[in-house]
Amino acid sequence: MTAVRRRTRSERRSILLTALAVVVAALFILPALWLLSGSLRPSNEIFGTLSPVTWRTLVPSEVSLGNYLALLSGPFGRSILISFAVCFLTVAIGLVVSALAAYALSVLRFRGRGAVFAFVVISFMVPFEAIAIPLSQLFSGWGLTNTLLGLVLPGIGNGLAIFNLRQHFLSIPTSYREAATVDGAAEPRVLWSVYLPLGGAALANSALLIFLGQWSAYLWPLLVVSDSSLQVAPVALARTFGEYTFDFGQNFAGAIVLSVVPALMMFVLQRFFGGLEIASGEK
Amino acid sequence: MNRRHVLAAASGIAALALVGACSSGGSGDSGDSGDADWSIPDTDPTATIQVLGHQDADGIQEVIDAFNEDHPTITVEYESVPFDQLNSVLDARIGNQDGNPDVFWADQPRIPALAARGYMTDITDQFAADTGVWDPAPLASGQYDGRMWAVPIANSTQLLYYNVELVEAAGDPLPSAAIEDRMTWEEVTERAANAVEAGATNGLLFGQVNRYYQLQPLPMSLGGSAGGTGDDLLTPDVTSEPWVQAMEWYGELFAEGLSPLGVTPEQSDAEFLTGNTAYMVQGPWLLPKLTDAEFEWGVAPHPYFEGGEVVTPTGSWSLAMSAFSDEREAAAIFMRWMSVEHGGGYAANYASPELPASPEGKEQYFQRDVFDSDAGRLAAEIIDFETSNTAVPRLQTVGFVEFEEIIGRAFSDVANGADPAAALESASSELETAWAQYR
Amino acid sequence: MSRSSSAVSAAPSGAQRRLGASPAPRRQLRRRKELFWAVVFLAPALVAIGSLRIAPTISAVVSSLYSGFPGGVRPPVFSGFDNYLDLWGNEAFRETVLRTVVFNVIINPLQVAIALLVAVLMTRRIAAPGLWRTLVFIPAVVPIVGSSIVWSIALRPDGPVNAIITALGGRPQPFLTSPDQALASIMLIASWIGIGYWMIFLISGLRAIPSEYYEAAKLDRAGPIRTFFQITIPLLKRPLLFVLVADTVANFVLFVPIQMLTNGGPQNSTTMQMFNAYRTTYTYSSKNLGAAEVVILTIIMLVFVALQFRLLRDDDRAAKGTS
Repeated sequence: MTAVRRRTRSERRSILLTALAVVVAALFILPALWLLSGSLRPSNEIFGTLSPVTWRTLVPSEVSLGNYLALLSGPFGRSILISFAVCFLTVAIGLVVSALAAYALSVLRFRGRGAVFAFVVISFMVPFEAIAIPLSQLFSGWGLTNTLLGLVLPGIGNGLAIFNLRQHFLSIPTSYREAATVDGAAEPRVLWSVYLPLGGAALANSALLIFLGQWSAYLWPLLVVSDSSLQVAPVALARTFGEYTFDFGQNFAGAIVLSVVPALMMFVLQRFFGGLEIASGEK
Repeated sequence: MNRRHVLAAASGIAALALVGACSSGGSGDSGDSGDADWSIPDTDPTATIQVLGHQDADGIQEVIDAFNEDHPTITVEYESVPFDQLNSVLDARIGNQDGNPDVFWADQPRIPALAARGYMTDITDQFAADTGVWDPAPLASGQYDGRMWAVPIANSTQLLYYNVELVEAAGDPLPSAAIEDRMTWEEVTERAANAVEAGATNGLLFGQVNRYYQLQPLPMSLGGSAGGTGDDLLTPDVTSEPWVQAMEWYGELFAEGLSPLGVTPEQSDAEFLTGNTAYMVQGPWLLPKLTDAEFEWGVAPHPYFEGGEVVTPTGSWSLAMSAFSDEREAAAIFMRWMSVEHGGGYAANYASPELPASPEGKEQYFQRDVFDSDAGRLAAEIIDFETSNTAVPRLQTVGFVEFEEIIGRAFSDVANGADPAAALESASSELETAWAQYR
Repeated sequence: MSRSSSAVSAAPSGAQRRLGASPAPRRQLRRRKELFWAVVFLAPALVAIGSLRIAPTISAVVSSLYSGFPGGVRPPVFSGFDNYLDLWGNEAFRETVLRTVVFNVIINPLQVAIALLVAVLMTRRIAAPGLWRTLVFIPAVVPIVGSSIVWSIALRPDGPVNAIITALGGRPQPFLTSPDQALASIMLIASWIGIGYWMIFLISGLRAIPSEYYEAAKLDRAGPIRTFFQITIPLLKRPLLFVLVADTVANFVLFVPIQMLTNGGPQNSTTMQMFNAYRTTYTYSSKNLGAAEVVILTIIMLVFVALQFRLLRDDDRAAKGTS
């Protein structure tokens, strides 16, 4: 009987906490919902329903996918695919590069490790805008303008991803590695069969970090790509605003498309890797 | 990582930087090309030119197709860059000094700055025969230091739009579209107050709120300068009585609730189209959008201050040739076709109506569908008159980029309630600092 | 598997004991092997970082020692520390530096603290946690142009936020149009974007804490607050350090919302260093001066980050000690 009562109490607490989570989520999502409804409604309604604030401010009087169709049938549709290609390549290469470096910086012991790590930290503190133009001129000298590689390269040496993975690798007990090396495993093997399986969530987060950096890139693609057939999605979306015009409906539709992709990715990664980690943590 | 390592890394970078500093010297020529060792040929060369602009590539393609009918041997590769990044991309591309682009879109008030930076080819001799083609203001905008640097492909002006229902609800007669009945700002202010009292959300809306382009006519109508004096217009002149008076009037609009705070330029058209705004000052680009409006609207000439001068904003885009172009002849043929031939090939063939910079181009422009309504015909007459008579170019100085930014912030501060005299004073001293590098 | 801090700190000492027991040549061989693998593992990252980040950074530092006509086509001349002295002599710039520091002193701890609280909530036993997490995360991925428009409209003096405040009986606020509230409004917007993002990293950290600790705390009859400070925070140090450092860097280089919403005003109240440097470099095309501004910004950031590393120092000095 006490067991039953305790469960109902924890259930009640769970309901209360869920309610709190809903409130928090609502606070964050509300402004984005307005974007969503703006992308679906007739364009004169976006501003026409602002004041006074009623439920109409958020709920369209009629729903139309016109903005999405207009947007995706233009260059934006193709540029989304280019963005995918760039992000996929960057994440694939960047994750390998970061994991190797993070392993060396957290597990291996060698002279100068701290200095190398400081180097990595400084690398992500320099604002990219400060080096973008000179770097683009280097790229043009290397013949990398209008190439996929030119878009991918700046994303792979991601100091933040290395830092994130390093923090996680540091928390994996060194006795694991000891055990593996006693069995004769070389370092690549230890990284592959001990650290990577235990680093699920951190790897997923680092992938997200690298992905988002590239997914939202705007200035750099403009500097290294002049061929519009190779342009990425955020740049293609910029055609919705010009000197005197601003197509709010299409811009909002593009913003929704560009948000949904990484949000879904995060959702899936969290489910997949988050679960994995708990399982391995409790074995 | 600890502090020792941070310091070690930082000092390492500093040491490397010093090594680099010693080894890197000045290099490259300055890209001036004032000598007239070339001319526009009578027969077209076979060439490919690269063009950089902020207009959408799809729209420009029609223009390029029309160009290729006249000039089939010149291939035009157009690159479209978002408006907000045109300057960044231009800096990067011109910095490469490799002939890409050959031709670029140049914001007219920035032409002196871009020419002084060594971005442009002097085209004075090549276009000497064409200077009679354009309206005076666009022609002047391409000249700096006694030389010509760019050819205008478009122009602009401002009109006073009004919402018929809201004006009538306020009990005021509808404004006349006739030039001789031009209203004063004093009258417009009074009408705006009536409209707000009668329930309009906004009495008077500036489409380009807080922008120099839009507000320059205010002090100038009161007898002020364009904002700078001296031989090269590098002495700030924004604290004079007309400037302060104009800004006091401007600040009042917001303080009294006649104009809305927080409506940015990109939102202003949408705001007017909701039907909650009685009067709005905006360019001709609002006309096509008004065809979908759910309310009746009308146009009137741009106002002026009582007893003051009639001054209207003007200016748009020109084409300039890069100082590093490797296809000057073909580039000049393209520029001439865009700006001069057929009253300006750009204005004649571009789908969205842009006001041409020449009287011949304007004639064709007013034939467009947008001007087919009663209000449209009235608008055409106003536009025609203002561009040839009352238009005043923006401050033609090499320091315009800094000026536009700094004065824009002062305008914005005044709108947000800052003391006008103090805001202009602080802008003036900021300008002193920013312009010191050019004197 | 247990991932307790005691295991972490115990392991290296165990390793050392074993190392000590082995003969010297073997230890040397092992060291050389580790160095070999370190070089192999670090090479790709260091080549990428060195050539794509550090080398251009060095040339930026170099160019900050030159003075040139805007635009960068005319060759600049060496001017030593003139750019730095000019900046230092400029009162507006000194105010900008101070404002940047104040902004970061407030916003970074605040954002991380809220992100942590939300992360804790989202790892409790609640229904559909993945959904709520995703919703909180979404602002981080909305393109900044879109979110800037949303907030510029939401915070209009006659906009929706004020409508809600008025409905609740409050007085309408000027927000972005007042020099007293604009910076706080920018903080609000930056937090709306940032909190969900950092929450994701903290959730991973929280889930990596073995549940035995919480069970032990429960047996100790520790309340939720004591558990939070005595178990959660200490065991979360590493992800916390990452989030704090990364958030700090992100907020120091933040400029797009400022550019779109206030353009540094009203009365310079939102002009911060990165916005200023961006304007100098890209709007005014004054590359050399812009480089000097970025160098100063980076040095200040470095001080902040170094302090944070000290504050949340790992207890892995034993491991470091052998190197």
